[in-house]
Formats: sequence, structure tokens, C-alpha cells
Amino acid sequence: MDALNALLAGFGVALQPMNLMWGFIGVTLGTFVGVLPGVGPALTVAMLLPLTVKLDPTGALIMFAGIYYGAMFGGSTTTILLNTPGESASIATALEGNRMAKAGRAGPALATSAIGSFVAGTLATIALTLLAPLVVDLALKFGPAEYFALMVFAFITVSAVLGSSTVRGLTSLFLGLYLGLIGIDSQTGQARFAFGVPELLDGVDVVVLAVGLFAVGEALYVAAYQSRLSGTLEKVSGSILMSAADWKRSWPAWLRATAIGFPFGTIPAGGSEIPTFLSYATEKKLTKHPEEFGKGAIEGVAGPEAANNAAATGVLVPLLTLGIPTSATAAILLGAFQNYGLQPGPLLFDSQKDLVWGLIASLYVGNIILLVLNLPLIGIWVKVLQIPKDLLYAGILVFATLGAYSLHQSWVDLATLYVFGLLGFAMRRWDIPVGPAVIGLILGPLAETQFRRALSISQGDASVFFTQPISAAFLALTAALIVVPFVVRHWGRLRRRRA
Amino acid sequence: MRGSRAEIALSLGVLALGIAVAAVTATLPSEGGYAGIGPNFIPAVVAAGIILLGLWLSFEAFGGGWRNRAEQTEVFEASPFLWISAGLFAHMALIGWAGFVIAGTVLFACVARGFGSTRFFRDSIIGLVLALGVFFFFVKLLNVNLPAGWLSPLLGGAGI
Repeated sequence: MDALNALLAGFGVALQPMNLMWGFIGVTLGTFVGVLPGVGPALTVAMLLPLTVKLDPTGALIMFAGIYYGAMFGGSTTTILLNTPGESASIATALEGNRMAKAGRAGPALATSAIGSFVAGTLATIALTLLAPLVVDLALKFGPAEYFALMVFAFITVSAVLGSSTVRGLTSLFLGLYLGLIGIDSQTGQARFAFGVPELLDGVDVVVLAVGLFAVGEALYVAAYQSRLSGTLEKVSGSILMSAADWKRSWPAWLRATAIGFPFGTIPAGGSEIPTFLSYATEKKLTKHPEEFGKGAIEGVAGPEAANNAAATGVLVPLLTLGIPTSATAAILLGAFQNYGLQPGPLLFDSQKDLVWGLIASLYVGNIILLVLNLPLIGIWVKVLQIPKDLLYAGILVFATLGAYSLHQSWVDLATLYVFGLLGFAMRRWDIPVGPAVIGLILGPLAETQFRRALSISQGDASVFFTQPISAAFLALTAALIVVPFVVRHWGRLRRRRA
Repeated sequence: MRGSRAEIALSLGVLALGIAVAAVTATLPSEGGYAGIGPNFIPAVVAAGIILLGLWLSFEAFGGGWRNRAEQTEVFEASPFLWISAGLFAHMALIGWAGFVIAGTVLFACVARGFGSTRFFRDSIIGLVLALGVFFFFVKLLNVNLPAGWLSPLLGGAGI
């Protein structure tokens, strides 16, 4: 019941007119930027971060929750109408959504995506409300050793397990970990890898890295390989309303997808990619209209879209209760918290009750705003999609550089931004994932702090990580994640050779 | 069979970065109080990790190429790449001196040119309007400090 009271107090915060307004602005801007082709949720959040520098933390974070949800929804609109999935979580939607649009059913596709996002987002937020206090209770029992082990586990799942190559995922992670070392060591005040440049003493800002990799890198890549991009914008003609049959087919898909998406979001499994595909596969299996799959089946849009939103909400569980980001977007949100000197985790639920529960309450509100805002405004989003590519990227880069420059009012940050842009270009070109680098940058320093704290408590005895049961379990799980696939692969190869 | 030259270069680049990180780490102090490890410990771990990954990547690059890499057949065009880079460098040089609005306009026009636009005048006007809008929004409404530069007599300071 404590959680319910806290949530009611949270609504008291979220429904204050000013905070409501920030939520409204956040959802609108998030959708607007998220609709832009080539701009995914991570970049949307990173580009809009400078907007909040002068806001109070509660208002800023409420706005960010809105941006987060808006960006997710905006991305799916682009995918349905343009078929250029900006991020892996939208690929499943593209399979059926774009086909529906091509068949003149763009309206119902957008509607099931919007209503499904609302249903899944709201159910997932309820799950978050119920689950968060439990995780907080558990997390209060965690010491530095447990946190460190958990972070190592998160590092490995986001970099080594997912994606096309373990070694390239790990390379990206370690690049991020290295960048996280730059600046003043929080324990001793020792400057590391700053090379006497004052701007580097503060460390590499997550906005500069994310915007460099996602915006500058992407712009360089798309411009240099122009022939690659050829999307045709589908028209939204006819009714955007769903028929009774559409409703009947969408409902179960939304609910199943929420059940798949939320749990996947809460564990460090890289965010929305796996659950959207799982949901797509589930719907394909259970549908009564298998002949429509591949030609625009509405379940194939309803499911992945709902799974995407449920997972996006699930990601907030480890972020808020443990302070552990499990996707690039969550890492940037954590950066936003840190800008205000707030460290998400169990203690924040105690010391900043109003802020945390205000934020959770605003997720409910944000979902409603998203629903009432997006379907009526679909005409505007379609106009946004028509912005020509040259002007679009020019505008994106004006905002990208603004975010970097506003940190210290220094050209050094702009030079750093360009270097990260080249890095992002190379990573995109040679198929190295960028997400792990962003997570490594943010989570690396936190992991180092916990590691050294654990050793301080144990007086330098490193066995502490293996003798504490929770910590040992996480480390064993991590080792299994690396070793098992490796063994399975080689064992299979050996057997084939013998046969 | 060997991987592409770019793969080999990138792999060796990662290796070189690891060695450079290790070299700088060697200059960091190691005294660490109760923990027994100092500010150089994690950097050493990270350096070792990067070196190992560099070796692993090189091993793949020299032995048949990186595994499971998405195929790419498009041709690299240098001119768009250079236009965008030039825009970013011009912006870097101009912003502290000529101000945000002028730097932003130049950047906008250069990037649009990089994406194949030939209407330089139109792009400059749109860039100028956008940069002015952003400037007023941030400086006047959000009180974020951005340099007015050459246009400061026209634009004035922060606050309405």
C-alpha cells in the first residue's frame, strides 16, 4: 500500500500544471524529432537534453519521460510510412506495417500502433509501479560487490551476447569504458587521460558521445553512401479508424506483447530488439490469418509495437531502482539524472520520493498525452516526413553542435564531437555496434567506483566478489554467457568434422 | 584469404589504442589506500582488454576477414563527406568569434551542399532563419548562453 500512497503523491506532482506542460512539450518534441527519418530514440533524447539545463529536476525528468515515449512512437510512424527502420527495434514493425501502408491501410496500422503503445505502455507502467518497490527492497541489500557483479553482467549481455559479433560488441564496450576513464578520478582526484585539456577534466559527456556517434556519424555515412537510401513515403488515405475486425485481432496481440516486452525490458538484454521479434514470431504462429503475414497483417504491427513500448517501460525498472542502464537510450537518461547530481538507485526512492514517483506518475500521464496527441496530429507528422534529406540533416547537425557547444562554450567539445562523428562513421561502415560504447561510458565509472569500494571494505581482499553469494551468482552467470555459446559452437564444429 | 585492408587497419588501430592507453596508464600513481588498488588499476584492465580485442580483431582480419559482417557494395563518395566535415570545421572556428547564428548558417549550408543541394542561397536563408530561431529560443526563453558574436549589436544579450 506504501507504493499506492507514494504513487498518489506522485500524481500530485505530475498533475501540477507546470509539470503537465513539461510532459506535453516532451511528448510533442519527442514525437516530432522521433518522426525524423534516421533519428532514433537515443539521438532524440540526446539532442533534446540541452533544453532542460535551466529546468528544475522534476520538471526536466518529466519532460524527458515524455520525450522518451514520444521518440518511440515517432519512430514507428516513420517505419510504417517510410520503411526505413532507424533502429533495430522497429524492424519487426516494418515487416507488416509498411506492407499495410502500401496496401492503403496506413491509417489502421498507425492506429493499432498508437493504441497498442498506449495499452502496453500503461500496463507496463502498472507493472513498473508494482515491481519497483520490490526491487528497491532487494537492492537495499546490495553492497558494492553485488553492484559491481551486476554491472559486469549488464556489460556482457549488452555487448557480447547480442549483435552479430562478440568481438566487435566488446570492442565497442571497451572504447566506451576507456572514454569513461577520461577526467578526474572520483576517488582520488587524480586526472586521467586528460592531457592537460581543461574541457576533458570533466570527463566525456554522454551527449557529445551519443550525438557524435548517432548524428554526426550517421550524417557522414548517409551522405557518403547516398545511393543506399531510397524510401518512398506512403500516403495516409482513407479512414485512420480501425474496423471491428482490426480491434478483435489487435487486442490479444497487444496483451501478449506486453507480457513478452516488459520482462525483457527489465533484464539487461539490450532493450527492445529481442522482444519485438519474439512478439512478431508469436503472432505469426497464433494468427488465424497466416496468409496475410508478409502482406500486411495487423497483428504483425500491433504485437511488435506494443512489445517495443512495454520493453521501453521495463528498461526503466533497472534504471530507476538500480541505476543500471540496459540500452543506449537509458544510458543517456541516466546522464540526464547525473546532470542534476542525482544517482538513480534504491536510495533515490527514499531521498527523492516526490521526484521518482512524480516521474512514474507522469509515465501514466505521458501515455495518455501520446494517445490524444498523435492520432489527431498524424497529418503534421506526415508533413515532417516530407522534409527533404539535405535540409533535414543540416538541421540535425545545427542542433547536434548546439548540444555539444553549450556544455562549456568551447570549440574543444565541437572537435571532440567531430572525432566521435568519424568514429561513428567507421563503426557504422564496418558493422561495429555503437550502443555498448554509450553504455560503457556511463556505466564504466559507476562500476569502477563500486569495485574500489568493495575492495576498500574488504581491505584489498579480491575474494569478496566470489564469496558473497549474489555477487558470485552474477559473475558465474556472466562467465556462462561467454563460455557456453563458444563451447556449443566449437563442439558442433568438432562433431561435424568427425561425422 | 585475408580481410579487407580497412579491416586490417581498424584492427591494428584498436591494438595501437590499447598500447597507447597502457603507456599512459604506466604514468598514473598506484597507491590506493584501503582498497589496495589505485587510480591506475581499472585503466590497466581496460588497456589489457583493448589490446586483447585488437589482437582478436587482427586475428580475424588476417584470417579470412571479420566474421558475420554485413555486406556493403555502395561506393564511397568523398565530396559529401568533405563538405560536411568542412561545415563542422568552419562552425568550430566561427562560433566563438562570429557567433552562433553565423556559424550555424554556414554549417547548415555546407551540410545541405554535402547532401547534394545546389541551391546555396535558399539553404543559407533557411539556415539563417533556423539559427536565429534557435538562438532566440535558447538565449531569450531558456537563458542558455550562446555567443552573439558579430551580430551582438542586433541580437542583444540574454533575457527578454
